[in-house]
Amino acid sequence: MTALAVAGLSLRLGAFTLEDVSFTLPANDVMVVLGSNGAGKSVLLETIAGFHRPARGRISIGDREVTALPPEQRRVGFVVQNFGLFPHLSVAQNVALGARGLRRSRAGSDRVDVAALLARFGIGHLAGASPMVLSPGEKQRAALARAEASHPDLFLLDEPFAALDAAARGQLRFELARFLRELRLPALFVTHDYVDVAALGNHLTLMHAGRIIQSGAVDDVFHRPVSRIAADILGFENQLAGRIEGGEAPLVRVSIAGTVLRVAGVAVTPSATGEIYVVLRAENVRLTHPIDAPAGAAENRLIGTVVALEPQGALTKVTLDCGFRLIASLMSRDVPALGLAPGAAVMALIAASDIHLVRP
Amino acid sequence: MIAVPRTWRGPESIGSPLVVLAAWLCGGMLLTFILLPLLQLFAVQTAGTLLQVARESDVRDALTLSIAGAVLTALVAALFGVPFAYFLARAEFVGKSAVAAVVDVPLTVPHTVAGIALLMVFGRHGVIGGPAEDFLGVRFWGTLAGIVVAMLFVSLPYTVNAARIAFEGVDPRLEMVARTLGMGPWRVLARITVPLAWRGIATGLTLTFARAISEFGAVVILVYYPMTAPVKIYEMFLRYGVEEASAAAALLLVVSLVLFILFRHVAYGRRPVAGGGR
Repeated sequence: MTALAVAGLSLRLGAFTLEDVSFTLPANDVMVVLGSNGAGKSVLLETIAGFHRPARGRISIGDREVTALPPEQRRVGFVVQNFGLFPHLSVAQNVALGARGLRRSRAGSDRVDVAALLARFGIGHLAGASPMVLSPGEKQRAALARAEASHPDLFLLDEPFAALDAAARGQLRFELARFLRELRLPALFVTHDYVDVAALGNHLTLMHAGRIIQSGAVDDVFHRPVSRIAADILGFENQLAGRIEGGEAPLVRVSIAGTVLRVAGVAVTPSATGEIYVVLRAENVRLTHPIDAPAGAAENRLIGTVVALEPQGALTKVTLDCGFRLIASLMSRDVPALGLAPGAAVMALIAASDIHLVRP
Repeated sequence: MIAVPRTWRGPESIGSPLVVLAAWLCGGMLLTFILLPLLQLFAVQTAGTLLQVARESDVRDALTLSIAGAVLTALVAALFGVPFAYFLARAEFVGKSAVAAVVDVPLTVPHTVAGIALLMVFGRHGVIGGPAEDFLGVRFWGTLAGIVVAMLFVSLPYTVNAARIAFEGVDPRLEMVARTLGMGPWRVLARITVPLAWRGIATGLTLTFARAISEFGAVVILVYYPMTAPVKIYEMFLRYGVEEASAAAALLLVVSLVLFILFRHVAYGRRPVAGGGR
């Protein structure tokens, strides 16, 4: 069954546009919509919630077409940045408001027990508290409890973590994923941070300039971007211009600034001039001593010089010169053992299956 | 002994004793400037003179008229100014800053000028005053309606501006979330937006009330009779001199201050969360 179907959605709203946006979300699944700021992600979510009238297209939630319905009749749970709790009401009153909205629209068919709901979300002791004194984690629970009280058919989450620090974000992401699994509710989660993707979603949609540029299973999209823009959104550190030299489909030879890399996987039609882009995550570049590299460890073995080291806490980003710029990422504790320092020689090992080709 | 600030939010050196001393000198002069004339007004009164003037029926009538006019003015400002303030806070349109500037114009118009301008529009032969009397039987000269018109003209900007700033401070996403919880647009306004903006709205209405009850220039030109309190005080001053007028002035001051404090209390007395705290 389909939880959400969006078909041919187009809209112009000031600087933001949606252009022919179509996708479906299966029941009980979570789709992450990833895109840079201004890509139209929030506008998409607000249009699904009913706040903007599309110029063209249709929106169905479950088996109901909702395109012409006002937000209060669409039965969506909307969670916004900082969680949007009403500061003049207590936590219990916030949740009760969700329940009351429901009672009005469904003529008192099922009353919601606010206390039980708060207990289920582990915030029973905060019923009388002001939302302003809650921690981010407690706010998230209160916001989810409030949305759940209105019995939504679909959750819409608009960058709820955007204003949080990295540590809090990780914790809340973990909890949100657990709640969404337990609630068994389909959800659309909008973010500009690709770190959110794997923990939360099983579908991934990439947006750019109001269009969907790629959509599919998380593993598929995350590792195989279809374009340089998609690779940008997904945070691929290495994007290298090259040219297909030959080879058959399972193992293609690509030359980059004179160096030949062997690439496994799907052949991509190059541009008329034979140009193509190689994209590669920094974490998939393994660094070893140039002399005692394990034999046959990877299809591609490149000798390079360290240009710069950029420590980022547990990880260190290393920029190499292999005839072209290559960025690698490794555990910071491995840096001394490898003798990495600017000017030092090092060997980079890259598996053919970790390299991906996209059209220019 | 100089009161050294308990906390200082600023560069350390500015909080030094010498600067604090200078600040208290300036501040002290300002406070004296405000309080001395007002206290002087009471210093010359005895309870007897105040009671005596309060017993005069034309003084009491003038005070009642002033209060009624100012309360009505605040109500009209709430009815028209608050919805317009919400519109200004939420809508983006060409010429918005020009509209906002027009709202502020009464703040810069001398009040006698406002009175003459209003008289030309709301007077016997004015574009509004004439038809209003012919077709509706409503007169603006010599009536409470005229007093409200004069008071409203000079005091409306306070409500519109304060309410607009208050509405701008309410995150539109809170309104969106409320809608998705099943509340219609009017319920969202009543349950979420207005309560969150309440303080600013109430401050604006209080300022409008205070400005209205103290208005003289515009009122005296549009409506000399029946007399509001400031007009009555001016008349007493012209006829009997400063001593007679000062008793009525002190009385108006007391009434204005009591009402102002009362309204402020209503505005700020609300707790943000009923039964809040952890």
